[in-house]
This record gives sequence, structure tokens and C-alpha cells, in this order.
Amino acid sequence: MKGRHNIIVRNKKLHYEFEIKRNITVIQGDSATGKTTLIDMLRQYENYGTDSGVSVECDVPCAVLEGREWKIQLENRKGCILFTDEGNAFVKTEEFAKAVRGSDNYFVLITRENLYNLPYSVEEIYGIRSSGKYQNTQRVYQQMYHIYSGKQDSLMRPQEVIVEDSNSGYEFFKSVCLENGIPCQSAGGKTKIFSKLLNSGDQEICVIADGAALGAEMKALYDWTQEHENVVLYLPESFEWLLLKADIISEGDIHNILEKPEEYIQSQLYFSWEQFFTKLLVDKTQDTYLKYQKKKLNKVYLHEKNKKAILKEIKGLRLE
Amino acid sequence: MLKIYFGDMEEAVYHPPVYFDNQYEDAWIVDPLSVEMIRDVDKSEVKGPHLIESPVLGPISTKELSGGVKTLILMAFDDEGRIFNASACGDNCAKWILKIAEKKDLTINLRHRMDFGKDGFQIKILNTGEVVCNRSDMIRVAARYV
Repeated sequence: MKGRHNIIVRNKKLHYEFEIKRNITVIQGDSATGKTTLIDMLRQYENYGTDSGVSVECDVPCAVLEGREWKIQLENRKGCILFTDEGNAFVKTEEFAKAVRGSDNYFVLITRENLYNLPYSVEEIYGIRSSGKYQNTQRVYQQMYHIYSGKQDSLMRPQEVIVEDSNSGYEFFKSVCLENGIPCQSAGGKTKIFSKLLNSGDQEICVIADGAALGAEMKALYDWTQEHENVVLYLPESFEWLLLKADIISEGDIHNILEKPEEYIQSQLYFSWEQFFTKLLVDKTQDTYLKYQKKKLNKVYLHEKNKKAILKEIKGLRLE
Repeated sequence: MLKIYFGDMEEAVYHPPVYFDNQYEDAWIVDPLSVEMIRDVDKSEVKGPHLIESPVLGPISTKELSGGVKTLILMAFDDEGRIFNASACGDNCAKWILKIAEKKDLTINLRHRMDFGKDGFQIKILNTGEVVCNRSDMIRVAARYV
């Protein structure tokens, strides 16, 4: 499945409206915000259709995935948005992650637990809140809001940089930092970023990581930045996304793809968006002087003009 | 005192709201502590052991309370020594967990890091045996397990 899907779920008292655009969306937040009520309404509609008094508007079927028979339920679903409420421990399992990988469905998971087996985006972690009455009716309008945002608002010149990966992305930032006298280290993977922060000092630190798959690690990192003002997070979708965004590669459709990636990313082919951006960059630069490999940075990306174009895309962060 | 075990805990009730639906007692619902918790978290008024007035849903049954409030009520009143997974509770339940733990020794299981506030609490972490008193230390400890 691909694309952006608008969903409206309503009855006489409640009106939920939101958009789902990636294979994995997580809903969490305070108690009593209507998460379970949303699932109850979807289940009632699924079982009784319009006789339930619930209305579900979406261009693809919406269904609830739950209980011990989840695997059987999933086998019979294609092209659906599947919702799972709290209390379904299977969402944490490797078996579920395997089922999501390669699935033609989108998944909306209600849980406060970090799902380390799933590569979900920091941009797709939402809470639900009430926004008052819906269009002068008695219905309460329920909307989703981003719990985290990958965007860095204030401009920062770090005294130290921690980069999530140890491949091309690290090589690029290490080179830029070296030129500017900024220590730069690789965390050696997203699961090790937090321990790097624990061992760091009071200097201004910027963590650079792939927002497209950092969802499970985000709470600890975000909470740490709330407690330690010297730490900021810079979370582009991925390093490859940044290179594509920098407008170095003269392929006409890249701009369109980056405008609406969801229109191009098939959930059954890409477990997370970062995989798509890597493939796109590799494909678009093949047989050119910009040939990209994840393992080792093509030095052409460090040429002054290219480097400046890439750094220009980094909002809120000054490395030069 | 409040004691927390972070991470998977086999003996804990993983999804307390279902346990509540099948085990709650009428007296628990009309207890002043439950009335206050329901008012604060669910913004609803207890009219009796079987009737709650919700500002959004209108009259609802006790079983339609939020999962967070159900879990809080279990923590406060269940006397069978069960440990409940407090990850069924949002951060807006944290102050009530601390309050319940002022009156009794309360052990909970957490599968995520709940925000108990900046400081002013004492919580024993059963995974390590240490006592944490502020948010910063709580983040540091919780990140090892959840």
C-alpha cells in the first residue's frame, strides 16, 4: 500500500479525523483522550457496518487487529489500515515485525511502549486531543497531534556532534566538523546514541540521526533534551534524504518525490522510508560521478559546492 | 513507597483494564479517592457504583472508564497482591500513582518511562535497587530497560 489516507470516524458524539501516510503510525499520550473509544468505534463499524451507527470514511478499509488470532486476521487483509489497541502484547514481538515487513497494509498501533523491532518515524508518533465541538454540532472533534517534531527551531553551533551511523553519513559530518574544529563521533547505531549522551559533558551537543526510523529511541532522547538544554536533536529523514534534498542530482522527478514521498513508497517493498531514500539515491546516481554507496562516502559529496548545498539544507544547525 | 520494575515482568497483569472489568467491586468506584481520580483523569463525575457522567459520552458504565483510571483504581484497592502494568496509564495518572503509594507499599510494572515530574518523589527501582528522586535520574535508569 502507498499514499496518504484521510480517515473520518464518527458517531453522534465523537468525530475523529486524521491522515495516515506511512506503514507504521504510533498513538500514545495521556489517559482518557479517546484512544480506546476510537478502536471500539472501528470494531463496531467492522462488525455491524452502518447499522452500528458509526460512520467510517476512508478510501481503503479500516479494521482492528487484536487478540491471539492476529496472524490469521492479518493473512486475510490486504490494502487495509489496521488498528491495534493497547494490551496487545504481540506488537512488541519479532514475529509481528516480520509480518509488518513486506505487508501491503498500514498499521496504527496504540501503545506507550517503545517498539524496538519496528522502524517507525519520529514524525509518526501522535497523541489525540479534543479540539472542541465539530462545526456547530454536539460532536466533539478529536484530532491527532505530533508528540515529537524532528525540526530544530533555534540556530545552534554545536561544540560536539554525535552521528547515529558509522558509514557515509558519519564520514560526511566528520569531515565537515574536522574542518571547523568540532569533535564528531559515531554512536555506532541508533540504540547506542543515548549511552553516548550519558557519557558526554556540558558542552553544546548536536545528535544527528535518521528520523525515519528513530521512533523507538525517541522518547529517551527527547526527554534528555528537555532536561539538558545543551543537547539538541537534528533528525532528517535520513542522510540520503538530505543528499537528495540538496539538489545536487539533476533528475527532474526527485523534487516531486520528496514533496510527497508517500505517493511513491510501497509499504510491502520498504520497511521504512530511509530504505526508499537510499535506493532512490543509489539508483539516481548509478553510472554518474555522484555514484552513492552507503558503506563509503563518495568524496565528490565533500567538494566545496556540493558540501555547501548539503549544509544549506540543514535547518537550525550551523557546522561552518 | 512506590517501587517500579521496568521491562517485561511475567507475573504482572499486562492489560489491567480487562482485569478491572472482571474483578472490580462497586465499593471501589464510590470511594472518595476513585471519585477524585475519575474527576481528574476522565473529567467525569461518579453518580453511583454503576453510573458515571462523562462530559463527552454522557452517561456511561463503570466499564467505560479510561484504561488509565481503571488501572489506578486497581492499584489503590486490589488486595490480592497483584502487580499491574502501569503503562496502561498516561502521564496524567502519575501524580495519582504517587498519591496511592503514600498510603501503601505499591509495586508497579512499567514498560515505558512515565513522567513523575521534575523532582519531589522517591521511587525505588527494583531492577537496580536504587532510589531515584528526580526526572533526570529516572530517564537515565529507565533508558536501560525500556
